[in-house]
Amino acid sequence: MSIPRWEGMLREITGIVGVRGALIVSADDGLVVAESAMDGLETTDVAAFAASLISRAQRTARAMHCAPPTRVHITAESGTVFAVAGDDPLWLVAVTDTTVELGRLRLLLGDLAVVLT
Amino acid sequence: MRVLEPWVAEPLTEFLRESSARLALVMTSSGQVIAQHGFTRSLDVMAAAALGAGILATTGELANVVGAEHGFGVIVHQGQAQGVWLAGFDTPRGRWIGLVVFGRESSVGLVRLFFTRFTERLVAAAPVTVPVREVLAEGFERELDESLRALFGRN
Amino acid sequence: MTDTTPRLPGTTQGLAFLDLGERLRQRGQLDAAATVAMAGLARYPALADAHDLLARIRADQGEDAPAISSWHAALEIEPGHVGALKGLAFIAFRARDMVTAERHLEAAAVRSPHDTTIIAALDRVRSATPGPSTETFRLDELGSGLLLFDAQGMRLTGGVGPGTGESEADAAAAEASGLAREAVRATRFLGLGAWQHLVLEGADARVALVSIDADATLLVRRPATTPPGRLLASAARAADAAREWLGHSR
Repeated sequence: MSIPRWEGMLREITGIVGVRGALIVSADDGLVVAESAMDGLETTDVAAFAASLISRAQRTARAMHCAPPTRVHITAESGTVFAVAGDDPLWLVAVTDTTVELGRLRLLLGDLAVVLT
Repeated sequence: MRVLEPWVAEPLTEFLRESSARLALVMTSSGQVIAQHGFTRSLDVMAAAALGAGILATTGELANVVGAEHGFGVIVHQGQAQGVWLAGFDTPRGRWIGLVVFGRESSVGLVRLFFTRFTERLVAAAPVTVPVREVLAEGFERELDESLRALFGRN
Repeated sequence: MTDTTPRLPGTTQGLAFLDLGERLRQRGQLDAAATVAMAGLARYPALADAHDLLARIRADQGEDAPAISSWHAALEIEPGHVGALKGLAFIAFRARDMVTAERHLEAAAVRSPHDTTIIAALDRVRSATPGPSTETFRLDELGSGLLLFDAQGMRLTGGVGPGTGESEADAAAAEASGLAREAVRATRFLGLGAWQHLVLEGADARVALVSIDADATLLVRRPATTPPGRLLASAARAADAAREWLGHSR
């Protein structure tokens, strides 16, 4: 898939109310591959932490003899980070505030991650 | 961790904790070591400092050749089990270099993030007046010369 | 003499054994029904309905494992075979595995949306499924899928689910504490405030991590079919049970 198409995909995600930014992250190195974000959201920081969370989540699943996680979702006081696995090592990550329709975002990320190759 | 300048210790400790880096070396652009963490032999420190400074200088020249106006700020070598982050940054004491070795418990992204914070904190923490450390500096220069001789087999 | 007449699945005469076998089964003549079904299967091994018939007879005989095998065979031949899905749901229901029963019935309902027996069965399964309010939390059991651990990654109580032991629980506590620490750090640096919960979804499990207090985190593991909202509701109630447990233990 081309970078412009990825960017179109990310814009679709940021079109959902409450989404502050969406990015494609390389989970191997914690770097941004493509992004669409509002001002004030440091996507490079998001990528670094998302990759670290994903790595820790994979280790936890392995310790429990579970299949590797394909979705990692963290909820905090002021927002959420939602990450869905695409083709290894790519992950689709969204950062939201508390007003987001999480169910809708979850479905959209799941649909788009399938074509993230 | 060993530091020549005490004010480097706190930012470096935080960087090491947050980035989960295995080894770290802070040096001047001429290869004089300011601080190190994780190395067990002084010869390794000297060799890493000399090579790191050399790589950054060489890459700077390459940047000139290919017309990269602002040079290459960062060089990353990514291996199977560990990676190396090598970057220059400006301080009130002149241009310094950070060399960081990280494993799978970290990532380029995390090292990048916390290295940037480390350099910002370092610049903020640097004393306004520069203490004269001639003796120590000379000692480092001498040790560096010896390490280079050892590395390249010169007598 | 060998019968050389071709027998296609659609041949009414050839498939009479399905009707005969089913009538014998309903009369309770299970051995005779099984004989008819097996004879039919010998002739039509690629007929999903024949496997389904044999599975129903085996289920009536109380032989769940062969029944499940036969229904899986039917599904291999004909993915989405409604009879097989209903049968597998029935076996799961009988084993009180409501999550699996519901999953099979939902798949059957997709295939056959106007089948009132499926809708009725779904209602029954859902009404028998313990909701979050009636769920019990046995924190001291390894098989509970509830694991309480401290900030140092030491297991306080519980385990990571059926069929797992102390070593898996200890390893999970050690790794999950690192994950919880990362959650604290990530949300702090990204300006999202204190983390509340973290959910991992994989092919075979859904896992929630809930912050209990500064020194304790609860991990809740449930099957992959558990709806995410229900997982969080369950985790919230389990967290209350964990706080109570810590109150007694400290």
